[in-house]
Amino acid sequence: MNESPTTENSPLRLARLDKSYRKKKVLDKLDLNIAIGSVVGLLGKNGAGKTTLIKCALGLMRPDSGEATIFGKSAWTLDAETKARLGYVPQSVSLYSWMRIGQLVDYTAAFYPKWNAALVGDLLRDWELKADDKAGNLSVGTQQKLAIILAMGHEPDLLVLDEPAASLDPIARRQFLKAVLAVASDQTRTVVFSTHITSDLERVADRLALLRDGRIVYDGELDELKDSVKRWHVTAAGALPADLDVPGAVHRRIEGAEALLTVRGGTQESREEIERRYSASVRVEDLSLEDLFLELHEEEVQHAETR
Amino acid sequence: MYLSVAPTSGVPIYRQLVEQIRAQAAGGRLEAGEFLPSVRQVAERLAVNPMTVSKAYSILERVQVVELVRGQGMRLLPPGSAANGKARQQAIQPLLQEVAAKARQLSLSPEQVLTLLRPMLKENEHE
Repeated sequence: MNESPTTENSPLRLARLDKSYRKKKVLDKLDLNIAIGSVVGLLGKNGAGKTTLIKCALGLMRPDSGEATIFGKSAWTLDAETKARLGYVPQSVSLYSWMRIGQLVDYTAAFYPKWNAALVGDLLRDWELKADDKAGNLSVGTQQKLAIILAMGHEPDLLVLDEPAASLDPIARRQFLKAVLAVASDQTRTVVFSTHITSDLERVADRLALLRDGRIVYDGELDELKDSVKRWHVTAAGALPADLDVPGAVHRRIEGAEALLTVRGGTQESREEIERRYSASVRVEDLSLEDLFLELHEEEVQHAETR
Repeated sequence: MYLSVAPTSGVPIYRQLVEQIRAQAAGGRLEAGEFLPSVRQVAERLAVNPMTVSKAYSILERVQVVELVRGQGMRLLPPGSAANGKARQQAIQPLLQEVAAKARQLSLSPEQVLTLLRPMLKENEHE
């Protein structure tokens, strides 16, 4: 559905990005190309390098090598015009604590040639933020809400959020997701958000970028991943062989007459084959993103052992 | 139209939507000629990505549960058409697969299962 992004129209493109802290490699020749109009969830476990990736992508941190471009322009030397098309909410928000919310809104609005005051007003009201409250007195969650609103006021073509929902309560999170969807609904604006809350990602993201060991190990449609990776519960009449194998098996657990197989792109033929050969029944289970996330990490463990 | 999604269920959201609309159309809870709510309305109400909803709608169009009326949206086709019959068969397939798997586990013969199932189907006919 998405056009394949070229350098010119791609809101965000990372090419062979390398970044190390002292001797620890965080990003390892990382490639990622984000298409216009998509909502991309960047998923990775703690310490996987999500924040480093985002900072390098936005030109807030210099990679050791490789290139990050935003709308075709180098992120490190981004011009003001392109910066104005960008919205960013960092993981730890720092607001001028002495300013009142209303002042902060005016202050931020002054930086942008176009500012949707009506949208900001609606969000402030919906998210129950009061113009007279001092930023320094707000809870962490409320500060995060404010930072999100401030990053959306100029209606950026690319909105990047680093763990935006981490300190939001369920109601605020739902409101946040709706705001993201409103951005996404015209399909010309792009949202990238990092998270480890998989259920949020499942709701709003149409694409998933999975970061592991400094690389993007999955970049594609979330639905495609869910449609292709399944867990097979095999129950046989007798003991199953320990080396029971299926084309596309990512992960196997075999105990006696029962087996759990995680299969990528498994076919009905190979399922019937197992059923026939071992007079078994095979129940196919759909996997949530959380399960998939765990399975895709186990895959690495297994490969590392056999290497 | 009542729709609900469980994002963490493992079934992709677009498939949940397809199944629910299909079931409501097949079961007569949605009537032929009725229009589905717009993609934007559904996306907003359920807080899901609009692309997910339009994906579900285009599948429903492909399997001829609905037709696209330019400028007006998705209109339900009359049930019982050949394509719709196939859709109804597909809707019950996963459940039957589960029954078949369970029957094999319990070493029940196909005849035994059918003997159990037949009166249940008849009961439904009288409803």
